[in-house]
Amino acid sequence: MKMLLVAEYRDGKLLGSINELLGFAAGMAAEVAVFLVGKDDTLPKFAGRLYLAEVEKHLEYNPDGHKALLLQAVEKEEPDLIVFSHSSYGWDLAPRLAFALGASQISEVVAVEGGGFIVPACNAKLRRQVKSLTKGTVLTLQVGAFPAADNSDTPPTVVPIDTDAAPLVRFQGYEAAAEGGVDLTKAGVIVSAGRGIGKPENVAIIAALAAALGGEYGASRPVVDAQWVEHNRQVGTTGQSVTPKLYVACGISGAIQHLAGMKKSEFIVAVNTDRDAPIGEIADVLVVADLKQFIPALTEKIRSL
Amino acid sequence: MNFELTEEQNLIRDMVREFAETEVAPTARIRDEEERFDRALMFDRLAELGLTGIVFPEEYGGAGADYISYAIAVEELSRVCASTGVTLSAHLSLCANPIYLFGNEEQKQQFLAPLARGEKMGAFGLTEPSAGTDAGGTRTTAVKDGDSYILNGTKIFITNAGEAETYVVFARTDKAAQKHHGISAFIVEKNTPGFTFGKKEQKMGIRSSPTMELVFDNCRIPASQLLGEEGMGFKVAMKTLDGGRIGIASQALGIAQGAMEAAVNYAKERKQFDTPIARFQGIQFQLADMATQIEAARLLVYSAAYKASHGISYSQASAMAKLMASETAMRVTTQAVQVLGGYGYTREFPVERMMRDAKITEIYEGTSEVQRLVIGTALTK
Amino acid sequence: MKILVCMKQVPDMESKFKLSPGALWYDTADLAWRMNEYDEYAVEQAVRLKEQVGSGDITVLSIGPDRIKETMKKALAMGCDRGVQVADDAAMAKDPLAIAGIIAEYARSRDFSCIFTGMQSQDRGSGQVGPLLAEMLGLPCVTTIVDFAYNAGEYLVKRELEGGVRAIVKVKGPAVFTCQLGLNTPRYPTLPNIMKAKKKELLTVPVAELQKLAGQQETTRIFFPEKKGGGLVLEGEIGALADQLIAILKDKTSVLA
Repeated sequence: MKMLLVAEYRDGKLLGSINELLGFAAGMAAEVAVFLVGKDDTLPKFAGRLYLAEVEKHLEYNPDGHKALLLQAVEKEEPDLIVFSHSSYGWDLAPRLAFALGASQISEVVAVEGGGFIVPACNAKLRRQVKSLTKGTVLTLQVGAFPAADNSDTPPTVVPIDTDAAPLVRFQGYEAAAEGGVDLTKAGVIVSAGRGIGKPENVAIIAALAAALGGEYGASRPVVDAQWVEHNRQVGTTGQSVTPKLYVACGISGAIQHLAGMKKSEFIVAVNTDRDAPIGEIADVLVVADLKQFIPALTEKIRSL
Repeated sequence: MNFELTEEQNLIRDMVREFAETEVAPTARIRDEEERFDRALMFDRLAELGLTGIVFPEEYGGAGADYISYAIAVEELSRVCASTGVTLSAHLSLCANPIYLFGNEEQKQQFLAPLARGEKMGAFGLTEPSAGTDAGGTRTTAVKDGDSYILNGTKIFITNAGEAETYVVFARTDKAAQKHHGISAFIVEKNTPGFTFGKKEQKMGIRSSPTMELVFDNCRIPASQLLGEEGMGFKVAMKTLDGGRIGIASQALGIAQGAMEAAVNYAKERKQFDTPIARFQGIQFQLADMATQIEAARLLVYSAAYKASHGISYSQASAMAKLMASETAMRVTTQAVQVLGGYGYTREFPVERMMRDAKITEIYEGTSEVQRLVIGTALTK
Repeated sequence: MKILVCMKQVPDMESKFKLSPGALWYDTADLAWRMNEYDEYAVEQAVRLKEQVGSGDITVLSIGPDRIKETMKKALAMGCDRGVQVADDAAMAKDPLAIAGIIAEYARSRDFSCIFTGMQSQDRGSGQVGPLLAEMLGLPCVTTIVDFAYNAGEYLVKRELEGGVRAIVKVKGPAVFTCQLGLNTPRYPTLPNIMKAKKKELLTVPVAELQKLAGQQETTRIFFPEKKGGGLVLEGEIGALADQLIAILKDKTSVLA
């Protein structure tokens, strides 16, 4: 099986998502080539051909130009699968390429099973198995669904590509993420503090873990009532209802008011000294420990990953 | 016979429900706690959505929808906040509607249109210390003086008072006439000299809805603000209350629906003996009774609303709807508190507020006893 | 200015879904239906654009059985001028290419200056229809927009990227935009507008007239993801616990990727 993997480059850097694509390819024992609109100072590490187009000329966002470049790589490689991350870059470019190739595209693949691809439906409540009816197939992979490959030491063989296709849209640059008002409902990771944090100074421990995980910190009602944390961070019936990918409940016993606001989170970790705390009933993992010792240790290890 | 709502009615329900859940519900608890009326939310937003004049024709600033749509709107608002529900009901049924029914063309243009568009808010002044259900006991007086009437007296328990700009007020114009015959209805505007507000009531429920006294002290209003003819006041009041009962019945229905949903959600989540309590037959039977009673009340309310929209006499139907819906609301909210147990008794869950709010629906715009009287008298005359 | 909005009716995502193995999809009985949330932003942006330019005509198009008409009425009540229902009882079995092909066939000869749709549907979530439609019509397309401005035939939009960063993109019309949540605040259909929507045109076109492309993929199975097992309880020394938890998070979630 041959795969062409599409790496991403943003704001002067190669994105780490390529390692998951390489991991996916390794899992299927595929022969790989990689496509990148980027620069030769940060290249993905793998053994194979890298089709490289200059980002100065082709810009970081230019779907029509990138499509034209990709078509060149596809023509040379004739891959069975062309694989993107299901990212703002991938879901934008993949359908355009698929259409140009007359190939089918399968979005947000989370697993490969029985000759088909498994994708989520209805807010991840259901799964579908989808089979492609075309010779080549374009995939986007759900971020995090496949383990990243270990970095190879071998540098790739660079094959330069270029096009003069005119862009239909004009990329003007980036705008940084807005600071200020927190919106927990949009956070991918939430680390919440409960009464078990003991004193207001310990909010910092929770906030530090949230930052290390790239998320936001929240709190249960008693912590907000005590004014240790502002109200817009409260999770529960009288606060926000949240559905992050990961919810870490620290020192939260699991009153029904709190559970109502977070039980739909995709993965729930509870940290509590009480093995029988009701939060354990809905948690995927219950860590029985003193959060004041455990959370800083965990934060440290995550930072050094 | 068709029990399906129309496409418009469904769209209206979806819209009001979304508005109620996103904008009204989040502050319902705190407004109740602080006894605070939020005009921007509880009235001005309703106006923007076209709810303040639902049933009136477009030429008077209304939306031209039917009474079932109106009932649905009050129901959906009350499902999350009974105070917001009664604000709309008192404004529309008790103030705008009598002007629509009894006002002349000039009064409709001058007073009804701004009410329907929600530029002005309305209220209704009938009850007095010695006259409530018994409108004939009205002691407030209106004395003709040239091109004016001069009002004197006090009205109590007035919903929307203080906030509203336009009031439909009842006063005795003929002291000599038999009880009912000497009463007339007037349109009085806020800020008329001699018209002030008395004490604000501290209530058990609907605490986010303002209830105050109206005080008239030699309040002079133009004779053109007489609504209908002199001596017609009793008829105006009774017709108005027929419509008002649909509003209050819808409010009660919404409260009951909200409480049942809270109880169902809780029962599915709350575990005792490692089993969600919803699995226990004792709980299921209670929930089943709630749902059945609510559905029965809903059919009576919509049927009264249907009659009101189609020119069919509906005073008995609206009395039945109000009686059934308000008693259902009281029973369902009490049961809901019971299902939630200790949590239900705390103010962190909405059911205790709903239980307090439900009680007033058995009292205002004619107590349950009066509704039985209306129904019974019609049966036996 | 002629504007097209492509809209899908989806079940309320809070519903308890049942599977319909025969249909290889969820069972459509007893579900509450609503407008795909992303498409609400598309409708709103179309209405705002029309309001900004002062004149215009917005067509809302949706593909599906008769029940989608009620959701289309909402779009009309929000300000779209006419509706086109592509009547298709089998719409839910069609892949993104077939759906985009039907819309392209409708749009091709009608000179729309601007086409909006949601960045994905809440049920299928493939996110392909917008870009596919643009490719078929030969139009520029910007996906996942969270900001939109129009001036003299040119659009200045922002795309949402990972981590809240936005890419600023200029594009000359006609163009296709796919809308992300938060692009605007979708309006409520007001009472007077609900009443007016009754009188707006809602055309029905049989799908056979518009379907020229066959699908290129098929669903072969529909199933529920594995249920969470009983929660795992970790006890022991702090450092070891942290390592164990990190291993679990790497395995079961994407947050450490």
